[in-house]
Amino acid sequence: MSAATVPMASARSERPSVLELYRDDGPVAAAIGAAAGRSVPLPAIGLLLLAILPGLVAILVAGDGAPRGIVAAAVVWAVVLGGLSSGRPLTDRMRWAVPPALRALEYGGLLWIAAVAGASSLPAGFAVLCAITYHHYDVVYGLRHRGVALPRWVQAAGGGWDGRLLGALVLLLVGALPAGFYVMAALIAVLFVGETVAEWRRVGRTQRPVYDDEEDEAD
Amino acid sequence: LRAVTSALTQSGSGPRGGAVAPAGAATAVLMATADAEGGAPAAALAWEDGTLIGRLLDQLAGLDVGSAHVIARPAATAALEPVVGAAGLPVRLQPSPGRPADLRTVADIARAATGAVVIAYADTVTQREALAGLLADPRVATGILGTAGHMARPFGYRTRVRRGRVMGASSAYHRVVSPNGTFLGVLKVAAADRERLVEVAEQLAALLERGLPPALEEELSAKGERWRRSLVLRAFRRAGVEPPEPEALETVALAPEDDAELARRLAGAREDVTALLLVGLVRAGLHVGVSGLRRLFWARPLSEPAVEHARERIADHDEDRALLDSSVKRSDGFFTTFFVSPYSKYIARWAARRGLTPNQVTLASAALGAIAAAAFATGHRPGLVVGAVLLQLAFTLDCVDGQLARYTRTFSKLGAWLDSIFDRGKEYLVFAGLAIGASRAGDPVWLLAGSALGLQIMRHAVDFSYPVTQHQLIAATPQPPIEAPSDSRRQTLPDDDRPEPEPDAEAEREPRPAAPPPRRGLRSRLRAVWRAGDRSSKVVWVKKVIAFPIGERFAAISLTAALFSPRVTFIVLLAWGGFAAAYVLVGRALRSLA
Repeated sequence: MSAATVPMASARSERPSVLELYRDDGPVAAAIGAAAGRSVPLPAIGLLLLAILPGLVAILVAGDGAPRGIVAAAVVWAVVLGGLSSGRPLTDRMRWAVPPALRALEYGGLLWIAAVAGASSLPAGFAVLCAITYHHYDVVYGLRHRGVALPRWVQAAGGGWDGRLLGALVLLLVGALPAGFYVMAALIAVLFVGETVAEWRRVGRTQRPVYDDEEDEAD
Repeated sequence: LRAVTSALTQSGSGPRGGAVAPAGAATAVLMATADAEGGAPAAALAWEDGTLIGRLLDQLAGLDVGSAHVIARPAATAALEPVVGAAGLPVRLQPSPGRPADLRTVADIARAATGAVVIAYADTVTQREALAGLLADPRVATGILGTAGHMARPFGYRTRVRRGRVMGASSAYHRVVSPNGTFLGVLKVAAADRERLVEVAEQLAALLERGLPPALEEELSAKGERWRRSLVLRAFRRAGVEPPEPEALETVALAPEDDAELARRLAGAREDVTALLLVGLVRAGLHVGVSGLRRLFWARPLSEPAVEHARERIADHDEDRALLDSSVKRSDGFFTTFFVSPYSKYIARWAARRGLTPNQVTLASAALGAIAAAAFATGHRPGLVVGAVLLQLAFTLDCVDGQLARYTRTFSKLGAWLDSIFDRGKEYLVFAGLAIGASRAGDPVWLLAGSALGLQIMRHAVDFSYPVTQHQLIAATPQPPIEAPSDSRRQTLPDDDRPEPEPDAEAEREPRPAAPPPRRGLRSRLRAVWRAGDRSSKVVWVKKVIAFPIGERFAAISLTAALFSPRVTFIVLLAWGGFAAAYVLVGRALRSLA
């Protein structure tokens, strides 16, 4: 697998490893992880389960009727604990479960925020999810077929899972939904699709794929 | 480097002056050091109007190999000279007195080459498509022609392959534990790995000059004994007689022709540096891939009767048929394998004959998916039915594009990326179409649609991340030094790698001390329960259906949308997908922790 560009395992300070790229951390999570991640004696997946738990309980208990204060507290808690997990080394045996847990956290959180904002925000929330989905697949397939990770500024501008959750929370609290979600979806789509197009122009079209393993193909 | 280039220009007396490949083209090195009867090289045995090596050279010339070197013993060069002069590419004959010189010649050629280096037995008889799978497939960088079958029994060198990578290789002097494949004597080293090839060849040459460690020599005598035993058993089988006790086999004499065959193979094994190079590269930790023989023909005949036999059998192998069958992805799900691939491969062949490219098919599939989504978005029954049918057509084309790419070997980075992204895009576009249609019909399902999407993303994230850890594990597997005959059984193997039941009488066996059965922890017992039944193909198919792959998902979407409503579709997707997610997560967690 694209060993030339992406190391299999890395210390956080150098180039990120494949799983670290799959995490899709934004600046907030990365800062929290860099500041305090080292001092937490838990594997990343443990921190992520703790991050998800309060929100999950609130969703099961209150659903879309949850008070906004509860939603805010649960989202901030998830970002802080998820951010801490970004500072943990991805060397334990369950490290493969970290990216899926982050996906569950982000998509579940965004859907919850949309539901709390009201039924009219749900289609807008679906649009946001679609835009993020494109990004998440391109992180994987771009690495596989172009052999390069996203430029850092694009990754940061996309906000990461943490930035997008916090952004959605702010939109909810200031009452900017559903319109805010449509704007957010459009911005995310323009950023990442534009980046992909630019990247393909740079890479050219004819070289062989750097990574091809049918068995790893998701289906 | 300068010294090497001058050595190259001095040595040899190629009939066409030199064998310098055009920049970037592959260079072939054919090993004509195995003898047929009477000391003549087997490569010079007659095949139709030419010879074995002439046939191979022509095949290589047709696969963009720019030049070839033929390494042979000085006494054998006279027999080869007319042959290489008639070849369709520049060939240089490289007389070499012995194995260290063979290896140093390989190192020199690799140093001077500009493209890939292809090393092969000069007496290989195979079909063009088998070579093309290794040489012309851009997805294989450094790799071997191999098979999971029982080719070349009992003399073929076994390999252990994990996730498409050669993890263990054998030679006359090396053995592999838990082998699951066979090396078929063709090795391609990508341009980027040429320096490693030079290092390994030099290292092996030095090892041979010093004299091989006794353990390696013992391995060859053990192999000779095993080959002898299996020839004896074969003779009994052919005669329809019950073979005697294993201990008594040693005393049974071989028939003269079998004895001659064994002697030829043993002599050839001693001279065989191709397999040694493969072992060296694998033990050096190089990523060596595999291109499968598929259902094509391969043989290494070292005598006239063997050539005759090969000529009779090669006609039974239809190259186009084999290529078409192998264009179907191996690891597809149940629905795809039984309801789509059987006819989609013919669409792929039709598309290939019309000159359609995989990317065009990908785009057509995406367009059909978009129209299907639009039809779903109407929200009324005829729209749902039309959408369901169109989605199935789109899915068929989804399978066709990959099959077309494999059939015509047109792979591009952009094409692979487009295929992957559009596959996903279609699915979520259909989700959006269904949800819009449901809203129009007065039954909004956006939350269900969003949840189904989130669940599918999460499941794919597992499918992407888990193999990464497996590759990390494989890359971290230590390789024993070249001086060790066996690669150890005691290493952490990633999952999916349970040793297969050895089908071969010639199984390479590691003596196992009779130890008391180890105490099994709860986790390993759970793991065993999880895997129980994996040997039965029915259980494997059931597991695949449970995992809810794309064929099953698209079938479920079409059926539920056409017969019921988008709400039912999303509930089914969430229920089945949720069960699949739980099943896969538990299974992989058990495997990771056990």
